[in-house]
Amino acid sequence: MAAADSPSAALRRRDLCSRGIRLAGKMRADVVDLLDAYVEQQGLDASASVAVEGVPLAAVERWDEQTGTQRLLENLAAYRAFRALLAQMLEEQREQLGEADAGLGRALAAVLLQVSAFAYHLEELLRLESRGVPGEEEDGPPPPPRLGLFEQKLRGLGVLRELAQWAVRSVRDLRQLAKPSPATGAAPALAESP
Amino acid sequence: MFSRWNWVACGFCLVLNICSPDASGGLVQSCGHIIPESPVLALGSNFTALCILNESCPDFGNIYASQIIWKIKNRVVPKEQYREINRTVSSVTFNDTSLLATPLTCNILEDGQIEQNIYGITVTVGLAPEKPKNLSCIVHQMSRFTYVMTCTWDPGRHTFLDTQFRLRYRWPEEIFPDCIPKDVNNSCTVTDIQFFVNTEIWVEATNVLGKAESDPLVVDPINIVKPLSPQNVSVSSGLLPTILKLSWENWISNAVMTLKFNIRYRIVDDTDWMEVPSEDTASPRTSFSVQGLRPYTEYVFSIRCMKEDGVGYWSDWSEEKTGITTEDLPSKGPPIWRIIDKSHSPACWTVHLIWKALKPFEANGVILQYEVTVRDKSSLSSPVKKYNVTSTNYTLQLQEGTYEVTLIARNSVGVSPPSVLLIPASNSKAPVKNLRTLPKHDKLWVGWTAPNSYVLRYVIEWCLVSSSSDCIIEWQIAPGDVQGVELKGIKPFKCYLITVYPLYADGQGTGQSVKAYLKQDRPSKGPTVQTKKVGKAEAVLTWNHLTVEEQNGFIRNYTILYKTIDGNETVVTVDPSKTEYTLSSLASDTLYTVRMMASTDNGSRTGPDFTFTTQKFGKGEIEAIVVPVCLAFLLIVLLGVLFCFNKRDLIKKHIWPIVPDPSKSNIAQWSPQVPAKHNFNSKDQMYPEGSFTDVSVVEIEAEDKKSFSEQDLKPFDLLKKEKSTSEGHSSGIGGSSCMSSPRQSVSDSDEGETTQNTSSTVQYSTVVLNGYRDQTPVQVFSRSESTQPLLDSEERPEDHAGGADSPAQRQQYFRQNGGQDEINTDRPCFERTKQITHANEGDLVGFVQLQISGQSSQPLGLGMEKNTQEAALSNVLQTYTEGQTVRPETVEENPLSVDEMPKSYLPQTVRQGGYMPQ
Repeated sequence: MAAADSPSAALRRRDLCSRGIRLAGKMRADVVDLLDAYVEQQGLDASASVAVEGVPLAAVERWDEQTGTQRLLENLAAYRAFRALLAQMLEEQREQLGEADAGLGRALAAVLLQVSAFAYHLEELLRLESRGVPGEEEDGPPPPPRLGLFEQKLRGLGVLRELAQWAVRSVRDLRQLAKPSPATGAAPALAESP
Repeated sequence: MFSRWNWVACGFCLVLNICSPDASGGLVQSCGHIIPESPVLALGSNFTALCILNESCPDFGNIYASQIIWKIKNRVVPKEQYREINRTVSSVTFNDTSLLATPLTCNILEDGQIEQNIYGITVTVGLAPEKPKNLSCIVHQMSRFTYVMTCTWDPGRHTFLDTQFRLRYRWPEEIFPDCIPKDVNNSCTVTDIQFFVNTEIWVEATNVLGKAESDPLVVDPINIVKPLSPQNVSVSSGLLPTILKLSWENWISNAVMTLKFNIRYRIVDDTDWMEVPSEDTASPRTSFSVQGLRPYTEYVFSIRCMKEDGVGYWSDWSEEKTGITTEDLPSKGPPIWRIIDKSHSPACWTVHLIWKALKPFEANGVILQYEVTVRDKSSLSSPVKKYNVTSTNYTLQLQEGTYEVTLIARNSVGVSPPSVLLIPASNSKAPVKNLRTLPKHDKLWVGWTAPNSYVLRYVIEWCLVSSSSDCIIEWQIAPGDVQGVELKGIKPFKCYLITVYPLYADGQGTGQSVKAYLKQDRPSKGPTVQTKKVGKAEAVLTWNHLTVEEQNGFIRNYTILYKTIDGNETVVTVDPSKTEYTLSSLASDTLYTVRMMASTDNGSRTGPDFTFTTQKFGKGEIEAIVVPVCLAFLLIVLLGVLFCFNKRDLIKKHIWPIVPDPSKSNIAQWSPQVPAKHNFNSKDQMYPEGSFTDVSVVEIEAEDKKSFSEQDLKPFDLLKKEKSTSEGHSSGIGGSSCMSSPRQSVSDSDEGETTQNTSSTVQYSTVVLNGYRDQTPVQVFSRSESTQPLLDSEERPEDHAGGADSPAQRQQYFRQNGGQDEINTDRPCFERTKQITHANEGDLVGFVQLQISGQSSQPLGLGMEKNTQEAALSNVLQTYTEGQTVRPETVEENPLSVDEMPKSYLPQTVRQGGYMPQ
């Protein structure tokens, strides 16, 4: 709390929120573009409904009732999961296509970096709230099972779609966190921030 | 089993030893080595090397450290730097490695003097890398989704060693691959850039002497982006003539970053850009309407962008796009002026209306036509005349008067405000004052002092003055509140005539003119000088003015430079208005070289040399010499004449001998052979060739020779009487000096037969003009024209001239014929009776000998009119024809006809003072 009280901490948090919002926005734009390329490259139907196990869902009930810390923790857990999933997708992509489609690989790597960067933002925000950052091992999802090629493609499609959804939610979460009014923040720590 | 393998192994080793006998010590037995081996040393540090000798050297035997000599690149290191550590080890120390060179060798002196190399090392000297400084990074957008980050830094001093630079960057929990520059050591480009995360960037420099890192740069790459400039820029005209709309596309989505823009534009022919206020374009957009533009004007647009918050870099300017605004009404009427030509008739003007085309920003479109309206203000009843013109001038024939001319310009949208020009009957208003010019850079400023009255505007006319062509007038209008304008398009070194007219509401002021140059130069040629008149001590020089094209400026003065061949040059400055100058105080009969120089404010030019020579004598000097000489001569002559006149008796005595007086002669004294002698008066004898070139002899034949002697007495009696009354009318042999003796001369014919047988014909005398000098005193008688009547006994038939009716008719005349006669008629003549001495005997060109019988002849004056003479001759001839036989015997070499002859035979009176017969 002491850290949050200091002006520098407040500026730091605002800066983190601001850049987190823009990072999430760019991540969403990149993921949307990547989705188009991915669907086309993998030969999938863009309208296909995919439910993939192990991918955190962005939709949540009573979103507006969540505290700031809770939002940060959920976001952090989701993006850590995405980081693992995207890393696996990138590895599978390289295994499947080698260097044949370097563009898709670069786009995946770029999104992976953005996911990592966003997770870093979330961790920093949690540190500013004097909350310990949970370890990845204890909160991280179990390694995804080895799947067949088509299932890998479908899972990749599901990961990207859900990541795009999470990007939208993260923007809303960070904007909620960035609001100065204590009434809007259920979390006391955030309510105290300027 | 084991021993058998041992033997095999030993045998293999033996083979190796045999094949490689120096396997332990190498192929070349070294006698020592240096420690350290090929070191890399920091520049400026100290360094110590050790040379360790092998005690037993096969080549040199026993060698010791005391024998060691250190050398650097064949240069012996001073012994002071050696140190003998033990018997086989020597060290050398260098306090500054910059003095080192490679190789560093260890040598020994064998046998006292022979130097042998033991070992050598290569020494590398360099520097540790400095800390890289001034690290900066910029993210370039390469395409819609591709960004690269290029970082540059200052690598520091040169290390002289192979130094590796690498750009390192990382996130707090993630380290990215290093960026290693290629071919350079001060920049590197990273391709996998992620925005919105603070990235720590630093540079690491490494070589064998050390490693250095720059200060880290922590930056979110989104804040150092230089985006691509907007693409697909298009310009479209709006409804209003002052607006153009720009549209474009952005390369960067708003998800990455939002942008702000700069828009610049210019008129297509301009070079200066204008910018839309930045606050108007500070928000993300893809179009913008630029306002405040000129109608019907082509504009060029360009646009750039950067991150909306201003953090980062501006993109490059986009490609330029052009657009034209729509037309609008002309904003003003064309400036109008007139040139009035009154040369044909003062009352009938030829008025050239001229106006300037509107500038594009004034025309606001394409001018389709001009409408000219002329109203006669002096006659209200005169109709207003309108003309539609497509050019920028119009010529009218107007009667003298006051007119108001209105001009409007029309384009597709409408018409301009009217321009009004008042043409008064006379320019009688006040002119401007103090008209002056001043060059200002490439323009010529014309200034004036305004008149006291309110001036609507001024018209400034100017034209290039030329000697070969007419002045082509250019003009411009200035507002009435200014007192100076700058004229454009003025060429340097050219003379311009500038005139300023003030225009009043009710008239026009007289024009004031001034000549001006924008820039002056020295004349392009010098004047050609020549002499107009050269005297003894002065010379008048003339020259022509330089043409205006040759002047290149205002001629301030002429300079005449003249000198003799070996003399100093004399300089004379002459007013530029003159074309003539008189050089004075020149030396006579001297060659002078003169040249002339024309000067402007900016220099001079000299013309060609001209030479002349002064005269030896001055004007009047020759006259002053000749006239006195002539006068003296004349005086001498006059004195001589006077002397002769005073001594005339003495001279006459010597020149004109005294002719015996026949009155004192007696017949007995006449020689009987006289007639025979007298025959010599045949033409050939009497006038030998060469004495006369033209002799006419008129022979009058008597009808009866026999009656001659008998009838002669009467005439002789008469002659006596005549002698008593008119003594001066005697016949003479010489005649007058002008050969116009009033006496008639009668000569005999060629045949020598004087057959004048008429009773009135008496041979009165015989004239032998050229023979008298040769005559003896005896012969003188034949030429004597004595007034004494001859006695009958004394008279010989041959001497009888034809009888005359009267004593006067018996007179004989002779005179020189031809043109000489006409000349001599005006001159005083001396009449002689006895002997004629012609002053210019050789000049005689003709001679007339005439025998007259029985013809009365009145003596006439020498000045008688020619017609009178002709009439008299005519009478004589007529008389001859009727009463006598008159035959012109010979007319030789004398083209005169008989009709022309009478002058020669006119009787002449003896003038007063004439020579009287003695």
